[in-house]
Amino acid sequence: MSKKYDAIIIGGGHNGLICAAYLAKAGRQVLVLEKRHVLGGAAVSEELYPGFTFSVASYVVSLFRPHIIRELELAKHGYEVIPMDCSFLPLPDGDSLARWADSHRSRREIARFSKKDSEVYPEFSRVMTHMGKLAKAVIDHPAPNINSINPKEIANLLRLGKAFKDLGPDLLHLNIKLVTMSALDFLDLWFESEVLKAPMSVSGIIGTFQGIRSPGTAYVLLHHYMGQLDGVFRSWGFSKGGTGGVSMACARAAMSYGAEIRTEAPVKQVIIKNGMATGVVLENGDELYAKTVISNLDPNRTYLKMVGENHLDPDVLKDIKRFKLRGSSGKVNLALDSVPEFSCRPGDGDHIRGDIAIAPSIDYLEKAYDQAKYGEFSTRPYINAVIPTLTDPSLAPPGKHILSCFVQYAPYHIKEGAENWPKYREAFGDTVVDTLAEYIPGLKDKILFRQVLTPWDLEQTMGLTEGNIFQGELSLEQLLFQRPVANYSGYKTSIPKLWMCGSGTHPGGGIMGASGELCAKTMLTSRAI
Amino acid sequence: MKWKEWAGYYAVCSYETLHDSEYYAFRNSAGLLDVSPLFKYRVTGPDAAAFLSRIMVRNIEKLAVGRVSYCCWCDDYGKVVDDGTVMRRGEQEFFVTSADPCYSWFSRFLRGYRVELTDISDQVAGLALQGPTSRDILKQICDADLDALKYFATCKARVNEFEIYISRTGYTGDLGYELWVKNEHALKLWDAIMAAGRNYDIRPAGLDALDVTRVEAGLILKDVDYFNALHALIDERKSSPYEISLGWTVDLERAPFNGQAALQTEKEHGSKWAIVGLDINWPELEELYYKRGLPPVLSNHAWRSSIPIYTAKDKRIQAGYATSGTWSPILKKNIALATVQKQYDKIGMELQFEVTVEHVRHTVSATVCKTQFYNPERKTSTPKFPKS
Amino acid sequence: MSKAYDIIVIGGGHNGLTAAITLARENKKVLVLEKRSMLGGIAAGEEFHPGYSTTGLLHDTSGVRNRVIKEFTLEKFGLKTKQGKPTVGLLSKQGDCLPLSNDVEATAAAISKFSAKDAAGYRDYMAFISAIRPFMKNLLDEQPPDLSALGTKQLWGLLKKGLALKRLGKKTMMEFLKVAPMSVADFLNEKFETDFIKAGIAAPALYGSFTGPWSSYTTLNLLMLECLAGEHIIGGPQALIAALEEAAKNAGVDIKTNAPADKIVLDAGRKVSGVKLADGETFTAPVVASSCTPQVTFYDLLQPNQISYALEHAVKHYRSRGTTAKVSLAVNKAVTFNGVGGLEFYRTGNSFDDMERAFDPAKYRQSSAEPLLDIHVPTVSKPNLAPAGHSVISILVHFAPFNLKDGWHDETKKKLFDSVMKTLESYSPGIASSVVGSEVLSPADLESRYSLTNGHIYHGEEAVDQIITRPFPLCAQYATPVSGLYLCGSGSHPGGGITCMPGYLGAQTILKNC
Repeated sequence: MSKKYDAIIIGGGHNGLICAAYLAKAGRQVLVLEKRHVLGGAAVSEELYPGFTFSVASYVVSLFRPHIIRELELAKHGYEVIPMDCSFLPLPDGDSLARWADSHRSRREIARFSKKDSEVYPEFSRVMTHMGKLAKAVIDHPAPNINSINPKEIANLLRLGKAFKDLGPDLLHLNIKLVTMSALDFLDLWFESEVLKAPMSVSGIIGTFQGIRSPGTAYVLLHHYMGQLDGVFRSWGFSKGGTGGVSMACARAAMSYGAEIRTEAPVKQVIIKNGMATGVVLENGDELYAKTVISNLDPNRTYLKMVGENHLDPDVLKDIKRFKLRGSSGKVNLALDSVPEFSCRPGDGDHIRGDIAIAPSIDYLEKAYDQAKYGEFSTRPYINAVIPTLTDPSLAPPGKHILSCFVQYAPYHIKEGAENWPKYREAFGDTVVDTLAEYIPGLKDKILFRQVLTPWDLEQTMGLTEGNIFQGELSLEQLLFQRPVANYSGYKTSIPKLWMCGSGTHPGGGIMGASGELCAKTMLTSRAI
Repeated sequence: MKWKEWAGYYAVCSYETLHDSEYYAFRNSAGLLDVSPLFKYRVTGPDAAAFLSRIMVRNIEKLAVGRVSYCCWCDDYGKVVDDGTVMRRGEQEFFVTSADPCYSWFSRFLRGYRVELTDISDQVAGLALQGPTSRDILKQICDADLDALKYFATCKARVNEFEIYISRTGYTGDLGYELWVKNEHALKLWDAIMAAGRNYDIRPAGLDALDVTRVEAGLILKDVDYFNALHALIDERKSSPYEISLGWTVDLERAPFNGQAALQTEKEHGSKWAIVGLDINWPELEELYYKRGLPPVLSNHAWRSSIPIYTAKDKRIQAGYATSGTWSPILKKNIALATVQKQYDKIGMELQFEVTVEHVRHTVSATVCKTQFYNPERKTSTPKFPKS
Repeated sequence: MSKAYDIIVIGGGHNGLTAAITLARENKKVLVLEKRSMLGGIAAGEEFHPGYSTTGLLHDTSGVRNRVIKEFTLEKFGLKTKQGKPTVGLLSKQGDCLPLSNDVEATAAAISKFSAKDAAGYRDYMAFISAIRPFMKNLLDEQPPDLSALGTKQLWGLLKKGLALKRLGKKTMMEFLKVAPMSVADFLNEKFETDFIKAGIAAPALYGSFTGPWSSYTTLNLLMLECLAGEHIIGGPQALIAALEEAAKNAGVDIKTNAPADKIVLDAGRKVSGVKLADGETFTAPVVASSCTPQVTFYDLLQPNQISYALEHAVKHYRSRGTTAKVSLAVNKAVTFNGVGGLEFYRTGNSFDDMERAFDPAKYRQSSAEPLLDIHVPTVSKPNLAPAGHSVISILVHFAPFNLKDGWHDETKKKLFDSVMKTLESYSPGIASSVVGSEVLSPADLESRYSLTNGHIYHGEEAVDQIITRPFPLCAQYATPVSGLYLCGSGSHPGGGITCMPGYLGAQTILKNC
């Protein structure tokens, strides 16, 4: 006799766990099924090499919604994020730029490259913080449905309209620019120095198959300034114990409210009876039943694998098939014998305790993208590296370090076909190490262990279709009421009783937790559960 | 010694735990203050005067060589960005000081002007020598004709082997000079002044003493009494020159300059706010303390927190807010600078000022007065050209 | 003693003339000032080699609005039009030429020779264009949305635009919202499988937009162009200018050529009072309408202290990175491309990757090794532009950046010319030996000859933010912060190309305000 659940959640990523926690807190019987032996999905910590705990995929915490921390009492369950103090940009000519939390310190650093920019930099932050109010109005609520005449939906639309109106005309126009311009063009409105623009513009392309000159990439710049609105000065940080620490805190919270969590329980399919989701079949053939099923998987996997094309309306199928995933990044994790030192600024000082960008010029980044467009990985890629062991020594043996590198571009669709990625995996890893070694002499001799994750690997191990780290590109036509598809954007799917709570739903992307939270809240308020 | 951050530098608040002796040096003898963290710019070229006139609310084209102008500059909407001094060192050479970094703002207007704008903040040090004996001290070390150097005039001078610029300006409201010197000579200049000043009771002075003197002199401070319009997140935090007692610096009838149209409109229709001086009723305050069995205990520091001001008639109606104030040791008065709605800015008007005595809030009456609480004759006197 | 006018129009191109006629027809005294010896600007036909002429820098006249033609009764002044877009031959490197005509069924039939899927895709595509046309017309044929403030009036205007979108029906509306932000490559890949057909259809969306086909929002550009194509003018841009000139004279407009404006004169109250020419002659008028680019209008024609900082900033950041050059060829025979002759227009593109590769160098301030060519053979319909039996080939070359790393001079122009000839050779073998004369206009030449800032043929990039509020919010309603100064050129709504709409709508605004 199997237990009948109120909800079964497929996938124990941070969104699935948060969704479970909210539902369990509201008294629902919830079961989370994770296919791997560890929880967290892409937000996972694993000891890949004895004594070294890696944040395998996601490596920094950015916009985790503070109200989730409050409401689920995550601090009690071990949530702890150490803010990042510095953004460091080593340059090939032996110079470097470090941007600090201390504004005067940043001003002096930037002034070495451009006096004007050094003064405009805080001005830019102020404007972006101001505009962040709008972004907050967007990400902290379900997406508005522009077709509905339901009073609640209209109220939601009006609330958004008011947020726009409150910006005033100047900021409204800037917002139009922000949504439609390229990251680089947008930064050009303020800055003149490439040394500043190059590392700033990359936040617009992380996880998307676009270049810094591609229209529509400016929007994500805003995310960097939103933390300030949450009452936190700095929004980016390291999770204690690796990003898996965030997931584990969410899991502990969920369990404390009574949710059940099973690992190594891969789901084969969603059971659909009379057009409705009634439960799931596991790979081992076990059938589990529930009043509702919630998928933390990406839209592609949810609809095409868990549900199956035969259950889908042709219009929905068409929309799902045109949903763009196109992963564009990989990950290289290194265990090091000693601290990596940059020739341009030696030592293990504060400058390398934050994030380190290999983004020396605009052309460098653009050329990296050009290669990817034609189906090759960048031979000189953009790298965002962190050394989390400097701020959290518990992750590695004393004196040893982890260098965790996010690498772009590594297009999922290489010329030879994605399935051939394993053949290029080590060459890709070598490219990353070679690139870093140009700035960190002796790096190669320090490497004790190397893990290379291509987008193909992200798909195979983490279940991210096409290796897309955000479960779907963050382009305008895939946001808001169109994420993942029009008409089925409010966490509902086209299959009754089947819901979605992953990054592939609004607002999507990053370790934010909003999708999981809003899915649970939508289900609860609409009495779907 | 006490320190605080000033524009990214550590600056001295007071050389001892108490700043009183430094205050009295400013008023009775001389204090020497390092003002190097100010931002400094050089503007040169055939269009330098036209360029500055386009930025500043004052008509810099009218500024004679050797003269200094105190003024502010505005955004398109006539809201103040910053204030500072403009010194005309030559027909085509100007020296500008500001509180905020303004290189980027100034450079936005360079198009079309034959001008070179250089940020010399990190190359030039500033020392403020202020106080009644400052002229006598300076005479010991330099060759300038100081008896002829008028208030708000500037000249070049030689000190030993190096050159300095002297401007007859300051932030204390007293007789005083600001000396501008290349970084490499700054310490030598300091030492020379201190040595020459020994017989004139000179003291190194810090920002705490300066703060008391500037309130007494009714001189406003950016980020305290008003905010840079470019930094303000909401319009309510922005001020026009008229609203911060700098209306007298605005010269409207001339070639277009930043904020001209908006300022013209404001002049025609009137301003919303005004900065006034407040003389806070001492006996009433004393009474409040006595009632709790206390002598009146006021800090000897100037304060700069926002304090609500109410109307005399109805203590529920807020007339404005005080932004800085101090106990004035020389006037023996409790004084404040306040931003009030225009209808409450008439001299002699009575308002109510909020005070907290032993954790309980009260109000005491305060009289609207000129912002310039203390204005000694020596501040503007020129021995060679005595006033008739 | 100079005559006083109600309005002075600076620039005698198609928009300047349209504005002047619109105003003069309402009994305003109008003067048009043109710096060159002839009218027309980038729509002027010009002899580039003795005996050989083009019909204008730009080729496409299908955007000229019927409303303007009708209202001005341009037919009376000699204008002849033909329904729909002219037929364009899309060229592939494999030697194919697909005639893309105004007739959907005929085109679909031609496409079906390459792919049945594409033929269906084309019908589908054209049906979508027809479905959204009413909304696009509402957006682009009317006054631009007013976003200067967010009062009731403005919100009502926006709501009306929103309702026009809703009127398309839910399915079309949702499809429009889905595809408009997409890249033109993603959009057309859904409908077509044959590379050169996709590329050929997409190409115009890239002209003047500083993007490749993989860039987001390029679909919106394509949809705008497709929706607005009405009828084209026989004889090309030149014929339009001739008719407009007649209409202007008929309406009483004074026209002065060889009259380069030097400065717009303001009075003490910072209001427009006239225009001073380079030779010092001054004309007075309380209103000036400039059909020049925003940069020329605000930077060159005004003193720096006459514009506010906000305006200074807006002009500085108005994006107009020119990437187009012009090559005109005098050829001693009738020409064919991929074996097809007799068409007036041809387009290369070949594939999205090839187009993207053509754009890539522009980012690094270099010219395309194999540029996209927008080819016009005006002698097909107007043989008298060249000696009998000879042809004129007018080519707009994409992408050749204004800010070329090596600078524009004879050597780099020669290099550009060679790359064009090499590309052309693969579509028309042996053409080089038939060329008897040529002219290369680099973006720098376009700037100096036509006062096109940065050589941008559309007076500024057609990017979303510069479409919604063109050129920028401060001037998006044709009026400018300078009292009495209006814009009426391609830098204003609804944008570049030969449409006459900026001039027409700009003049309407002047009539309403003055």
